[in-house]
Amino acid sequence: MIMFLMGLALAMFGLAVTAAAFGAATQTEPKPETAIQPHLELAPERFFADSHRSFHRQPNVPLEVLLLQIEQHVRLEQAAAESFISLPSPEVLNCRTESPLVH
Amino acid sequence: MPDTHLDLLKSIALEDARAVLALGSRVSLPSGTVLFELGAPADHLYVIDRGRVNLTLPMQVFGHEEDILVEERLPGQTLGWSALIPPHRFTLKATAQIDTELLVFRRAALLDHFAAHPAVGYAIVGNVAATVGQRLQVFQAMWLREMKRVLELSRGTREEK
Repeated sequence: MIMFLMGLALAMFGLAVTAAAFGAATQTEPKPETAIQPHLELAPERFFADSHRSFHRQPNVPLEVLLLQIEQHVRLEQAAAESFISLPSPEVLNCRTESPLVH
Repeated sequence: MPDTHLDLLKSIALEDARAVLALGSRVSLPSGTVLFELGAPADHLYVIDRGRVNLTLPMQVFGHEEDILVEERLPGQTLGWSALIPPHRFTLKATAQIDTELLVFRRAALLDHFAAHPAVGYAIVGNVAATVGQRLQVFQAMWLREMKRVLELSRGTREEK
């Protein structure tokens, strides 16, 4: 009986040690994951924010340069529109110009 | 000024064209002079003899109100057609881009002449309508092109999300 109780006590002690070790192991594992995740999410957002639309960078362009770009854009678009009027076709209507505002 | 080069006098007999031209007066505008402001009463029709006039609309660009080019008018072309079309208010601002000479026609003088010479009035109003129609067609095409770009941008933004 004593032997049985000692065995049971040892088994309980072993189980407690294993559970404590497991608990400690599972507590420390998620920490590195949560630290890495924001980097994985933020990196693509920064990439798209920089590369998607050129007008995101427009505040850095001097006003005079931007006004010249707008004027050039209007002239090119007007020329494209006039080409469409003289020779109406879907291709001419949708043709691309070299406007700096749409590239 | 050769009459045949004026948009306003297309398809009008030489004698009739001369009679219309006699109604006008000549005005010189130094470079940078504003001919008329957006929303101002339109009592005069103009024909450019020499120089260049920019037609602009105000637009907010990064907190600044700027005149954005809408149309450029060159020698032989008519501007200020709002003088003949109600509510007789200019829909754009006109500025001489370089030293410019214009023929200026008072609306009242033109209408009196048209009343006395209906055939001439009919032809001139037709020529003015052609100018208005040209602008409408150009802007329709420009609007459609911009709409296409807006849709492309919108689709690109949705695909990113």
